[in-house]
Amino acid sequence: MAELRHNPLSGQWVIVHVEDSWGPEKYEREDHSILAKATCQFCPGREFFTPPEIEAVRRSPPGSRPNSPGWQVRIIPNKFPALRIEGDLDLRHDGMYTLSNGIGAHEVFIETPAHERNLADLNDDEMFHVIDKYQSRLNDLTKDRRFKYILIFKNYGESAGTTVEHPHSQIIALPMVPQYVAQELEGTQAYYDRYQRCVCCDMIAQEYRAGTRVITDNAQFLAFCPFASGYPFECCIIPREHTCRFDTMNDGEKYALGNILRETLAKIKGCLWDPSYNLYIHVAPVNDGPQEHFHWHIEIVPKLMRTVGLERGTGFFSVPTDPDHAARYLREAAVIARR
Amino acid sequence: MPEFRQDPVIGRWVIISVERARRPGNFIDPINRRRRDDDQACDLCVKPENPVYTLGDICVVRSRQPSATSGQQTSIPDGQNGLYEVIKDVGIHETVIETPDHVSNMADLPVGRIREIVQTYVARFNEIEQNTRLTHALIYKNYGLSQFAHHACSHVMAMPVASLEISEKLSGAQKYFRDHRRCVYCDLIEREIKDKKRIVVETDDFLAVIPFAARFLFETWVIPKKHHADFAQGIRGHEEGLARIFKIVLQKIKNGLDDTAYNWVIQTAPFRRQDVARGKWRTIDVDYHWHVELIPRLTRMAGFEKGSGFYICAIPPEEMAEYLRDKEI
Repeated sequence: MAELRHNPLSGQWVIVHVEDSWGPEKYEREDHSILAKATCQFCPGREFFTPPEIEAVRRSPPGSRPNSPGWQVRIIPNKFPALRIEGDLDLRHDGMYTLSNGIGAHEVFIETPAHERNLADLNDDEMFHVIDKYQSRLNDLTKDRRFKYILIFKNYGESAGTTVEHPHSQIIALPMVPQYVAQELEGTQAYYDRYQRCVCCDMIAQEYRAGTRVITDNAQFLAFCPFASGYPFECCIIPREHTCRFDTMNDGEKYALGNILRETLAKIKGCLWDPSYNLYIHVAPVNDGPQEHFHWHIEIVPKLMRTVGLERGTGFFSVPTDPDHAARYLREAAVIARR
Repeated sequence: MPEFRQDPVIGRWVIISVERARRPGNFIDPINRRRRDDDQACDLCVKPENPVYTLGDICVVRSRQPSATSGQQTSIPDGQNGLYEVIKDVGIHETVIETPDHVSNMADLPVGRIREIVQTYVARFNEIEQNTRLTHALIYKNYGLSQFAHHACSHVMAMPVASLEISEKLSGAQKYFRDHRRCVYCDLIEREIKDKKRIVVETDDFLAVIPFAARFLFETWVIPKKHHADFAQGIRGHEEGLARIFKIVLQKIKNGLDDTAYNWVIQTAPFRRQDVARGKWRTIDVDYHWHVELIPRLTRMAGFEKGSGFYICAIPPEEMAEYLRDKEI
């Protein structure tokens, strides 16, 4: 039997198959053999193939020159940017239609010099530097007043849409708030208007009470499978205390975030045979006054079904795995600690 | 220079990015490749035993796809789940087997057959509307996307709620009507006929266009020129017309885009029973306009789109329309 579940944050309705729920073995597996190392432009020693770096963490040797080996995390402009950084937005109307110039920033984080490693394989220290750079780029791009939203995301694996093997994530700065974030802002606002509370804070409390969808937690963060997940084995990582601020996280919080993110990714990798996945960080809009009611979070969506299409057009998501079931698999997946 | 364009109905922004079109590997979806290798015995070739409806040799069956169940006992939210709302037993899901022959693409069916398929949809709509638990019905097709898709079939789905995507479309049209006292789709038809450059094909009673703010490569909207909020009523007298333009558009996509996988959805108003008419959708008969949205599956949805709802379309809609317009059928 299936049931319809309402996501109180986004407003989405999801069809969840609570009976005959699929375990990990029912999904297609994907091969992630390393094929392109010899020609990889993100590997150390090939820095001249990429646009010049914007920032880098340089550790071995410390203080090595920009655009040369010795980096741990390296940030470069996207060679194939979806948007242009120079120019004015020039928002204009053409009869019933509205358009503007494609102004924005599109950068790439190379997460590690090691081509065959993967975010789930980094140690806590390396993870910290990745998170730290996410924050640093977010803060720098926020200074550009043209931008209203900054999306940090990662595509891992071919079927999740990546065209580069080397571990990397991306950041896009946009002059408008994307639809899904707007929906979440609206959902949060509507819930607040009704109950004078944050929907995410209530959700966290309920998830702890129920316990069945919790994957793991630490002092600052909770990882769980949302009750109305839109995709099987979808995971959410969220700060336990209410905050809309990703930009002001301190080192301890960044370390804790890196830790739970790596652990969750390692569990996904172990439990679902290293699937492709998409990861995105939903922060509050920038340069648009206080957004205190928003509660930032990370969504991770393993790409397990390559041949679906129900949600496209109909807007109904069909999820073959009960999130309770998914969380149990992920909770029980053993992970080796890397320090 | 890439461009942001805003959808006039729901206000969603897309990026029209010419440069990215050159990226290798962006257009070919491995789904298309795999589909042709598959040559299993086809379940839909066997005449079904208990069809819920037939018209000639078109059969409608309760679906084996587990998207929904029988729908007779849909319950209202039960409040047992704290802040989470749940509706047990979700609705109706039926499969329309379009032909007994093992033809996979609707583009290859004759116009007369497509007309009968459209009539079948109307009959199913009218019956499903009798179930007062259900508020919204959708008809959709996934071609080349699943294991059932080798034999031409489409699906009827009816739910006790509208999805967010549909609600936003309905709200967007309602808002446009409030601001302009006109139907946004009627305005769109007028504008597109004047501009010409985004038209794929125009017939007496329908218009097929690439939308100004297309999300996907070769996304095509088929819109009836005659205003009606509701598919099952608005189509009366135009069944043949819809079949004809469907055939043309599907053939153009098949021939022009290497027999790509695609899906389409008939977007129609919720059932307008008395209670609906008095409530939220008071002006729906004048503000909403049924239509079909067709989306070829030429690109993968990556993290940016999935995480933001912000789509990047790599070819300007005007160029896509020109390409399909000039395609021989």
